[in-house]
Amino acid sequence: MDDYIIESNQKKSRMPARLDFAQSGTGLILGLFMWVHMLLVGSIIFGKGSFNFVAKTMELAFLSDTGHGFPIAVFFAVFIVFTLFIIHALLGVRKFPISWKQHRILRDQMQMMNHSDTTLWYIQVVTGFLMFFAGSVHLYIMLTHPDIDPFISADRIISGNMWPLYLILLICVELHGTIGLYRLCMKWGWFAGKDAKKSRQTMKKMKNRATIFFLTIGILALLVFIVIGIKHRDRVGEKYNNHAAVVEQVQADEAIPVKEEIQALEEGQEKEAAHEPEAIQPSDVTKQYGVT
Amino acid sequence: MKVIYTDSLVIGGGLAGLRVAIASMQRGYDTIVLSLVPAKRSHSAAAQGGMQASLGATVKGDGDDEEVHFGDTVRGSDWGCDQDVARMFVNTAPKAIRQLTAWGVPWSRVSAGDREVVMNGKKVTITEKKEAHGLISSRDFGGTKKWRTCFTSDGTGHTMLYSMDNKAIQMGIPVHERKEAIALIHEGGVCYGAIVRDLITGELMAYVAKATTIATGGYGRLYAITTNSVISEGIGNAIALETGIATLGNMEAVQFHPTAIVPVGILTTEGCRGDGGLLLDKDGYRFMPDYEPDKKELASRDVVSRRILEHMRKGKGVASRYGDHIWLDITLLGRKHIEKNLREVKEICEYFLGIDPAKEYIPVRPTQHYSMGGIRTKATGESQTLKGLFAAGEASCWDLHGFNRLGGNSVAETVVAGMIVGEFVADYCAQNPLNVSGTTIEYFMKQEEQKITDLLTRDSGENPFELKVQMQKIMMDDVGIFRNAKDLEKAVEELKVLNQRAKNIALRNRISSSNPELVEAIRVPKMIKVAQCIAYGAMLRTESRGAHSREDYPARNDKDWLKRTLTTWKDDSTGLPEVTYEDLDIMKMELPPASRGYGVDNTVHHPDTARREAQIEEIKKANPGADRFKLQELLNPIPIPEKFKGKNERIGRGFK
Amino acid sequence: MSDQERILKFQIFRYNPQKKGDKPRMVTYEVKEAVGMTIFIALNDIREQQDPSLQFDFVCRAGICGSCAMVVNGSPTLACRTMTSTFKDGLIKLLPLPGFELIGDLSVNTGKFMRAMSERVESWIHDRNADKVNFEKLEERMDPDVADEIYELERCVECGCCVSACATKRMRPDFLSAVGFMRLARFSLDPRDKRSDEDFYEIMGDDDGVFGCMTLLGCEDYCPKDLPHQTQIAYLRRKMVLVK
Ligand SMILES: Cc1cc2nc3c(=O)[nH]c(=O)nc-3n(C[C@H](O)[C@H](O)[C@H](O)COP(=O)(O)OP(=O)(O)OC[C@H]3O[C@@H](n4cnc5c(N)ncnc54)[C@H](O)[C@@H]3O)c2cc1C
Ligand code: HEM
Ligand code: HEM
Ligand code: SF4
Ligand code: F3S
Ligand code: FES
Repeated sequence: MDDYIIESNQKKSRMPARLDFAQSGTGLILGLFMWVHMLLVGSIIFGKGSFNFVAKTMELAFLSDTGHGFPIAVFFAVFIVFTLFIIHALLGVRKFPISWKQHRILRDQMQMMNHSDTTLWYIQVVTGFLMFFAGSVHLYIMLTHPDIDPFISADRIISGNMWPLYLILLICVELHGTIGLYRLCMKWGWFAGKDAKKSRQTMKKMKNRATIFFLTIGILALLVFIVIGIKHRDRVGEKYNNHAAVVEQVQADEAIPVKEEIQALEEGQEKEAAHEPEAIQPSDVTKQYGVT
Repeated sequence: MKVIYTDSLVIGGGLAGLRVAIASMQRGYDTIVLSLVPAKRSHSAAAQGGMQASLGATVKGDGDDEEVHFGDTVRGSDWGCDQDVARMFVNTAPKAIRQLTAWGVPWSRVSAGDREVVMNGKKVTITEKKEAHGLISSRDFGGTKKWRTCFTSDGTGHTMLYSMDNKAIQMGIPVHERKEAIALIHEGGVCYGAIVRDLITGELMAYVAKATTIATGGYGRLYAITTNSVISEGIGNAIALETGIATLGNMEAVQFHPTAIVPVGILTTEGCRGDGGLLLDKDGYRFMPDYEPDKKELASRDVVSRRILEHMRKGKGVASRYGDHIWLDITLLGRKHIEKNLREVKEICEYFLGIDPAKEYIPVRPTQHYSMGGIRTKATGESQTLKGLFAAGEASCWDLHGFNRLGGNSVAETVVAGMIVGEFVADYCAQNPLNVSGTTIEYFMKQEEQKITDLLTRDSGENPFELKVQMQKIMMDDVGIFRNAKDLEKAVEELKVLNQRAKNIALRNRISSSNPELVEAIRVPKMIKVAQCIAYGAMLRTESRGAHSREDYPARNDKDWLKRTLTTWKDDSTGLPEVTYEDLDIMKMELPPASRGYGVDNTVHHPDTARREAQIEEIKKANPGADRFKLQELLNPIPIPEKFKGKNERIGRGFK
Repeated sequence: MSDQERILKFQIFRYNPQKKGDKPRMVTYEVKEAVGMTIFIALNDIREQQDPSLQFDFVCRAGICGSCAMVVNGSPTLACRTMTSTFKDGLIKLLPLPGFELIGDLSVNTGKFMRAMSERVESWIHDRNADKVNFEKLEERMDPDVADEIYELERCVECGCCVSACATKRMRPDFLSAVGFMRLARFSLDPRDKRSDEDFYEIMGDDDGVFGCMTLLGCEDYCPKDLPHQTQIAYLRRKMVLVK
């Protein structure tokens, strides 16, 4: 009968704590990054011009911050995200049902109980697994062709036959990311408030709304890209405009670089669309790009 | 033959059993606990209301001490208890609760300042003292002069049992779960352990020990409707009875709790009434003040149960498909109180009745609840007749409760008895070598093996489930709250027949390993025997005392019946147990018999009562300077172990 | 409740590992429903009237002791307090709790698991003075609110529902599981327990402990005593991740 718990002086490794924290940390950054990413990519819905403007604005921010040229900045950013992505994936894989037996048990359990949060986790596992491939391809492309331009992107999607991959990736990332953020709150007890059970209900509702919201944006964006891509099929490789001109224009009069008439959108709307991402994006994104 | 040797064998993993085991382990003796179920699932976990200990921390407990607790206990027992034991008990209870505190029980604590309570149907504000803040709180319970019942919300037994079992686990005490003791091993008037059946594999084993303690709880399941768990079947009592040597005491003393829900008989704690709940009849009328103007709903349990039945007999019960019932109204306590202090009650109402007790009345009825009787022991906890056999807790008739126990005194008894008896068990282990012969062990083993083989090979015969149902019905109908000669004689006869039939049980499922029908077949004949002890004892006792209430003999008769019933069963072939009596010596009583203060006092007094009263007066006069401790020693010197002799501290009065 | 009598169909998992040659199977029993019938009543009915070999565990039959947890139509829950009237179609499927050693039919050995759990988390007050406490003196004071909070966590009845409802536990047999976390949370809250965070880390600071919990919350959703699993496991996780 003794009431010491430490029989030997050998202390337990702090590694599991670090790894769990890292999993959540990378997940959180990736999850929030994807929200921003989706809003940025979503600007294509309002026209090539908006998309272009957003892309160039980001580059501008980098230029003025560091004085370096834009490809390196994007390369740098993608590199960081890719690293986080890989770290997160490797940490995530530890949680996978690795053996067939474990997988069977999991399926069996889900069938028996039909418990929503367990199912959500399973979705995370499956989507995580798919992203391992799909995400890597996308990131590899962005790493090797850090070239963001409405036409280039659209060409990649249609003429480069990337759209099936993007569709899968889109569904996966939206499910995985929002579920992940919800789970993060549960896991660490954030925003629990006074009545944790009620907060959980609320957060689950918010999670569902976020999934629908971002999926809608994503799919619309993808459709627009597809339309642009199809129309641009015979001019693959041509850029939307040269970026210096845009920079000048933006600096000069903050006008919106509308040149194309494909979209019949009103000017007011365009302004809004152009400003909206700006409001969210600069600080967050630059911070991520700059700090991490 | 598998034989397991140990020093101290404890049969029963409830509060009492575990505490005995802890005591003997602490003294360095090898100890094993046997239990039908994991220890934490023992019936002790079901105790909701609380544990009595005279700490006197709340204002309403102010002035409480051992004397007041003693008086309440003796009066509650209708002078049937052993006053030496009651003394040891009240002196040790504060220590027991404080020790449990150190072991982890999260007792509800006193919160300084005003708080609203419901008393006598009205909201009253009481102000708790600042000095008492953070000390163990207590609530009101039936039959007590002070608020003495300490509690953790309404999960008292649960938290006590968890802390106790955790302590046992810390000490590495092995609890052999899913093992059933089915016979005691004894030789030359000394008990040496038990024959035990593994409920999973069906294997029979001999657990051989120097000291054997039975702490198997009550025998509520002899009745059709009871608040007791399904394993409270009195098997521990039965195996003691079957030795033909050990005696059972006061088996006819069976308590009915006033408020168990209808129809299933699940208890709603006395805390409901202690906290201010009321009893209402079919007209929504509060009837208890008419019967007991003084204590009303909080009269002693036996009294309240009888009053309810009386009132229902007047046609005032609420009719339902399950027969009449009355209402328990706790709506006036308010949702907040119910959700905090009566949570289990709320859950029970929601799940089993589909009602919200903060808004609706609870249908209740008196239901079998507690067994005062049990294995008769000396104050040391050892059987008076079979050496080496000890008993503690509800299974015993240590005789703290006499003919009626007070709410909250039972879990307190389990722990206190565990402490005290545990010391004597350890003493016994120290003083006695283990010298039982192999042939004796083998003899008992063979005997049990044979019985099981007979059961498994008999082609046709009685169905054990049916026999049990019949026995339960007899007990319910004829050996209930109100008893009379006619019913009791009928019950005794019918049980005799069942006893014979039980010798001829045959099984449909003939496997020796885990087999619920075989378990039943082993138990039912034992249960019938115990039931016979109750019915027969009740038939013979022609008076009313505590929970034993004879319609044909309504008076308490100290002159002829101030004695304890002792039952043995020497010859298995006879159809009835043998009953003898043990006198209670008034001349040694610290508190001589008097009226309990309920209804009309029609007690037939014993001539010694007046003599003893005069003697006490004399002693008091001769020792004018004696404080209460000195006086107690003069009137009632008790054999309490050295460890527990000290005085107990209370706020505001120190050790005085 | 209506008066009309229904015939309930119980589909029950049957298997006795003690019996040679026995194979797991589902057997259907029909029981006439009674008013206020619980699964406890129905199962006893089946045992007494139809099949005396049917194994299951009940003790308190009042939702207090935690003996009778089983999977009732997909939910791990206490059978004794489950009313048959809650099943509209009268079809009730009963499985033993997964993740525990099967004793037979609906009976599983939760006791063995829980004792091991208690030993693993050292489910007792760690205070070297606990045995030397002078029980004649006033007990140590405790804040009334703290006492209430401890009781909240102490209400666990070791039924095992949270263990069976956890896919993590099922995939990784050594995972401590929610009941263990609740116990640890209970003791870490208790001022009488002198263990430090470092001490607790030794017990649960790995992937079989709190860092292995994937926040599936089956524990939270199926605990019959409504213990606050989610907030408490999160609390433990925050605490443990900060241990130096
Ligand atoms: C619903 C209810 C509420 C109550 N509330 C209160 C209250 O508020 N206050 C109060 O003071 N009292 C209360 N009581 C009474 C009190 O709970 C019991 O009297 C007390 O807990 C009995 O404890 P025990 O240790 O003697 O036996 P139990 O806790 O019943 O334990 C018996 C043990 O013996 C084992 N056992 C039995 N037979 C065998 C065998 N043949 N072989 C091996 N093992 C065996 C069992 O497995 C079990 O472990 C209540 C009782 C009930 C029914
Ligand atoms: C190869 C790709 C990925 C794999 C294999 C993967 C795998 C996983 C797994 C298994 C979990 C669950 C961890 C747990 O239960 O403890 C998880 C959590 C999470 N993932 Fe991913 N993931 C991947 C990519 C992403 C991406 C791109 C995002 C961003 C949207 C993301 C965001 C999250 C978040 C926010 C969590 C919750 C963090 C936590 O539970 O600690 N994941 N991931
Ligand atoms: C810094 C890193 C990243 C950059 C710079 C980037 C950039 C882009 C760009 C420019 C597009 C438009 C299509 C194209 O040009 O191919 C796009 C689309 C997309 N990206 Fe990324 N991306 C990054 C990281 C990620 C990550 C980590 C994921 C998820 C794993 C992801 C998922 C997607 C998806 C699903 C689309 C298609 C969206 C749609 O069309 O609706 N991206 N990304
Ligand atoms: S935490 Fe809840 S579900 Fe788990 S064992 Fe305890 S009571 Fe049962
Ligand atoms: S279900 Fe299991 S994974 Fe964690 S949150 Fe509960 S223990
Ligand atoms: S039998 Fe005790 S909880 Fe169900």
